Amino acid sequence: MSFRTASTTQQRQSLMDLQRTQERLAKNQTRITTGSRITGPSDDPTASASILDFNNSIQVNTQFIRQADAALSYLAPAENNVASAIEATMRLQELAVGGSTATISELDAIRSNLLSMANAQSQGKYLFAGTATDSKPFVLANPADPTSQINYQGNAGQIRVNLDGNATNPNQVTTNLPGDTVFFGAGGLGSNTDIFKAITDLKAAFNANDATAVQTVRDHLDLIFANLNKAQADLGGRQAGLLDLKDTYANFNATLESLQSAQEATDYPKVMTDVTADETLQSVTLSTMAKTNKVNLFDYLT
Amino acid sequence: MPGLNASLYLGLSGLQAQQSALSVVGQNIANVNTPGYTRQRADLSSNLSLTEGQLYFGTGVSLTSVQGIRDRFLDLQIYRETAKQSGASDRFAGLNAISTSLADTGSSGIGAQVQAFFQGFQDLSAQPESAALRTNLVNKAQGLISALKTRYQLLEDQRNNADQAVGSLVTQVNTLTDQIASLNQRIMTESSPGANNDARDQRKALTDKLSALVGINVFEGAKGEYQITLDSGTGILVNGTSSYQLSASPGGALDGKSSILLNTEIPPLAVTSSIKDGQLGARLDLRDNLLPGLQRQLDQLAAGLVQGVNQLHRTGYAADGITTAASAPPHPPLAFNNYFFVGDPANASNPGLPTGVDFTGNYKGMVSSLAIDPNIVMDSSLIAAAGVAGAKGDNANALAMAALQTAAGTVDLDGNGIGDSGTSYSNVIGNLISDVGNKTQLYETQTTAQQNLLTALQNQRDSISGVNLDEEASSMMTLQRGYQASARFISVINQLTDQLVNQFGR
Repeated sequence: MSFRTASTTQQRQSLMDLQRTQERLAKNQTRITTGSRITGPSDDPTASASILDFNNSIQVNTQFIRQADAALSYLAPAENNVASAIEATMRLQELAVGGSTATISELDAIRSNLLSMANAQSQGKYLFAGTATDSKPFVLANPADPTSQINYQGNAGQIRVNLDGNATNPNQVTTNLPGDTVFFGAGGLGSNTDIFKAITDLKAAFNANDATAVQTVRDHLDLIFANLNKAQADLGGRQAGLLDLKDTYANFNATLESLQSAQEATDYPKVMTDVTADETLQSVTLSTMAKTNKVNLFDYLT
Repeated sequence: MPGLNASLYLGLSGLQAQQSALSVVGQNIANVNTPGYTRQRADLSSNLSLTEGQLYFGTGVSLTSVQGIRDRFLDLQIYRETAKQSGASDRFAGLNAISTSLADTGSSGIGAQVQAFFQGFQDLSAQPESAALRTNLVNKAQGLISALKTRYQLLEDQRNNADQAVGSLVTQVNTLTDQIASLNQRIMTESSPGANNDARDQRKALTDKLSALVGINVFEGAKGEYQITLDSGTGILVNGTSSYQLSASPGGALDGKSSILLNTEIPPLAVTSSIKDGQLGARLDLRDNLLPGLQRQLDQLAAGLVQGVNQLHRTGYAADGITTAASAPPHPPLAFNNYFFVGDPANASNPGLPTGVDFTGNYKGMVSSLAIDPNIVMDSSLIAAAGVAGAKGDNANALAMAALQTAAGTVDLDGNGIGDSGTSYSNVIGNLISDVGNKTQLYETQTTAQQNLLTALQNQRDSISGVNLDEEASSMMTLQRGYQASARFISVINQLTDQLVNQFGR
């Protein structure tokens, strides 16, 4: 049997096919130039949503790497200051063994140095002030007398920084150590573990030439030394944890980026093949259209 | 035996019939490219014979009718599918226009801006004393607000475009239904059924146009007249020789957009929701359902953000360590409620959202009234990063607000006033993106499928009604030969007559 084909039919069909080929070509061209397989969300709605998820996770992880860096920027100077305080304590221990009234001026200097260490700042924050970071945590009871008692005016507040996106129970790191726990120790102001008091006591013992009192201060200095070491280990341990965490996040991001690119990146060999095929198809369609429209019976009537 | 004169007439009838049939071929050839043209066929039949005794002698041929070759049911089917095709392709065009911007997965998209806003809170939490980080947070919030507002406005613009198109489409529909009704008149009064081919062709072409504009059902009556109703079945556009006008009347539809009335009765019938397909149906659907649905999702997202951040912000303390909700306004006469975004503590249903925006209205208007509290814009030290009074370095509240980013149950999508379990901001944005993508893809696929179906139907109609030039050329040759032979026959009879009149008896 034969099927009647009207003169307009072929034209219509070829035109529609041609338009679709051109549309595909345009789309693939965009894929090549943008490097993204997805020219609009309708190309792959599911992948579009998951690309967004990947982007989001990568951004969030990057943010937590930044948070870790921010925490490190407080922990590292704090640790440096504690390390200096440890050196000062070791010098005090030496002086307690071999010292005399001649060393009193050095004791005063060490006390002033320790005071400025305790009032150290990073990025405008007092490191050892708890959350009262805008005012000096350690002050002289009598500002005119550098040898007067040193009081703590900060608080016990902890400054935490989030290290993951867990909303209810996030992984946090505390970026500070309240100054009283570092420089006054467990006993607090005026106790056996108050480093400033130890210096004052040592001075008094030298002045009185009281060997027993010097011995007592040496015992106290051992306690202070242990406390400062503990603080340093604490600060160091937190930093080590943060460095690990940064590595973990960086590796995780690398994985996520490769997954995202698998979803989003243009498959060049495939797209190029498609483009070549479509270009061939387009030229073949055009030439066929031109040929079939040329021929009909009227050409052969005389 | 018929006489010579009778034979002359027989030959003449042949000449006339072939010539008439040739003119039908000519008409077909002339209309080979006319849209909606139906090829015509000359029906020739032999005349009644003369009887002489027991013999029957033919008296030639006559052209009894010129028939259009058409399949009525195919036509009706094509009207229906045309409306569906134009409906799908217009919906696709409308959604495609907004999809790339709305579903931007890159750095300028809504997702990235929400992320950047909360990053601002994270950064601030590491150093709440820093004025620079506070300003940074305000800028990130501005970026987020403008990302949401731009998208919302884009949707609104598309809705307004659709609304404007509705008015002009209604006018076109009215012109067409008028013309169809008057063609109905000519068809109903034709001399014999199917005689007025050209009126039918014109009516078909007009109905094709009409069906692209508005979804219709077409029925053909006993006298060949069309009765046309809207595609939902309610509302008569054309009934025989009468047509009924549509009108777009301002107000009456969602958000004060114009509603469509059909003037079949008094008062006019409201048919806004009775038009499903065609360009008009697609525009109405975009205007009243598809685009507002996306706007609602943006409103819900913004409401979730504002309420979450504001409620926490109100419990916190500014950089000076004292400013709380109870304090006197820091920048009189601007009232300050210790909210980050503009909000109203007296909003009964959703405290923290702006006045008049709440779950009972599905948070409508949230994006429009979204703004940072003007006090905070003037003075970023008012951002309540601290969770306890008097501690400038405390960041507990900044941390709490930053944690909202990934918290679940922060957005209320079902409109009950309570955050839905499992919805975080990024989930809602992901859903929005895949929703836009899926809808666009749906109408894209539907457009292609309808286009294929329509092309197949049109090809089928053409195979019945279309003009094939080869076919016409061959009938032209046949008719030409028939004409030549008839002429020859007349000339032979003429010679016989000559023989009889002039040569006989010499």
